[in-house]
Amino acid sequence: MVKLKPAVFFTLIFAIFLSSSSFAAIKKVPAKTQTDTSKIQVKSFDSKEIKKSLADKDFNYNDIHNAGQPSLWARFWSWLWDLLFGWVDKSTVGGSIMKYILLTLSVSFLVFVVFQSLGIDPIKLWQGEAKKINVPYSESLENIHEINFDGEIEKSVSQRDYRLAVRLLYLRCLKQLSDTHLIQWQIDKTNSAYVYELTDPVQKQTFGLLTRQFEYVWYGDFPIDQQAFVNINQLFQSFKKQLV
Amino acid sequence: MEDEIFEQRTDLTKLNTAVEQIKATLAKIIVGQHDSIDLLIAGILANGHILIEGVPGVAKTLTAKLIAKSIDAKYSRIQFTPDLMPSDILGTSVFNPKTTDFEFKQGPIFGNIILIDEINRAPAKTQSALFEVMEERQITIDGHTYNMQEPFTVLATQNPVEHEGTYRLPEAQLDRFLFKIEIKYPSLDEEIAIITQQHGQKTTDQLKHIEPVLTAPDVISLRDVVMGLHVEHKLIAYVAKIIHESRNNKSLYLGGSPRASLAIINAAKAIAAIKGRDFVTPDDIIYVSAPVLRHRIMLTPDKEMEGVTPDDVIGQIIQKIEVPR
Repeated sequence: MVKLKPAVFFTLIFAIFLSSSSFAAIKKVPAKTQTDTSKIQVKSFDSKEIKKSLADKDFNYNDIHNAGQPSLWARFWSWLWDLLFGWVDKSTVGGSIMKYILLTLSVSFLVFVVFQSLGIDPIKLWQGEAKKINVPYSESLENIHEINFDGEIEKSVSQRDYRLAVRLLYLRCLKQLSDTHLIQWQIDKTNSAYVYELTDPVQKQTFGLLTRQFEYVWYGDFPIDQQAFVNINQLFQSFKKQLV
Repeated sequence: MEDEIFEQRTDLTKLNTAVEQIKATLAKIIVGQHDSIDLLIAGILANGHILIEGVPGVAKTLTAKLIAKSIDAKYSRIQFTPDLMPSDILGTSVFNPKTTDFEFKQGPIFGNIILIDEINRAPAKTQSALFEVMEERQITIDGHTYNMQEPFTVLATQNPVEHEGTYRLPEAQLDRFLFKIEIKYPSLDEEIAIITQQHGQKTTDQLKHIEPVLTAPDVISLRDVVMGLHVEHKLIAYVAKIIHESRNNKSLYLGGSPRASLAIINAAKAIAAIKGRDFVTPDDIIYVSAPVLRHRIMLTPDKEMEGVTPDDVIGQIIQKIEVPR
């Protein structure tokens, strides 16, 4: 970079200062007004269009005719409200709260009715309760205390349905054990659970044997003839005597 | 007495003899765990795969190895690790420079009794490799399908999922296991017996003198016998009711699948055969219900938080349903 001598430097600075002062000293010349001499073309509005626009509903911002008038939907709700809850004073704070409570209840009732009509129990849906299963099952919830055993056994034997007869003999045996409070009858208990429930060793052994006979016939579907039934029936009869 | 009235329809002598021999073999080394051993044998007879769960040190792997050793069949063991790849299990195609062609090299899954140790150490990608082979007993690689040799049984062990470095198995895979057997800690007496037995051991290799009881063809023929056992229609309805109730139970997020219904029936048949019967009773169904269902059902988050177990819910479900008689 070229180095400037101090004298030259100050001379330059001074020159710049003078030039700027000379610009500031220039007097402002008054501006001259320019005259527009071009020809003016006058335009006029179409009065028909103005009238048409004025009549247009879209440009009417002060529609005082419809202002404040409720719609048909709003009028319907107002009518329904007055019909159902006309006694509630909506102007007070309590009335407003009551309004919303009643509206919520009404909507809930409506939802309840819709669910019911669809065959869904909304209370159980809310509680998350298990839906009851409905499996076709003829012996379901059979109560041993309500069966006429003597009549049913007799009927089965006369029809030579020894399999069913053994089942009825076993169910009668369970009833007898339940009646004598030796076992506690419950639908979920298995046959072996009843065997374990007996405390008397002799009864336990005999009932265990009867249980096996029943299981072979009923669950095992083993064929049973008259002679076999007579033998099994004797075992049941002797066990019945033990219980008395 | 029943022998005088009812003649046995199915010859279960061979099956019962084999079961007794396996139990006796296992009893030499395993103390207690009678139910677990019964279920393991039942699982093999029912042609199912078995998942054994327990905390470390309760002899899960040893029990599985003993069962595998008691059958004279091709046995392979896979130790599942976090870096295991599907090809490490199934096999892979390797280029042969001599033939200038790719040759399929079979993985360890090609066997009869497969022991997968610590199955939940591998992530879901590797677990998925087992889906096809466990259900369809075949694998498909590079467009080729390879069938497994029968009998094909997977015995898998796992730590409870709360433990460090484990992954929860996918539901689809869990459903492929017939049983989940939970091995608990032994009782005080059993613990003493374990220590005494180990103390008296003359050799470190406990499995050295274990002789196979059954051959692979034996297992196949016994499975056929089990399949042919009688199940009364009312008991089928009973199983269906249990599964339906599991699907509608408010404590459960996921209930049992139709595969679970079939699993209960098959497992109940195997248990009936082990007990010397050729027909199923409600006791058999109740006995197998928890091992069949406990890994298939999923509790709702609130019940899980309350500390309810799947076995508790299964118990409640069974209590609701009338035993058919």
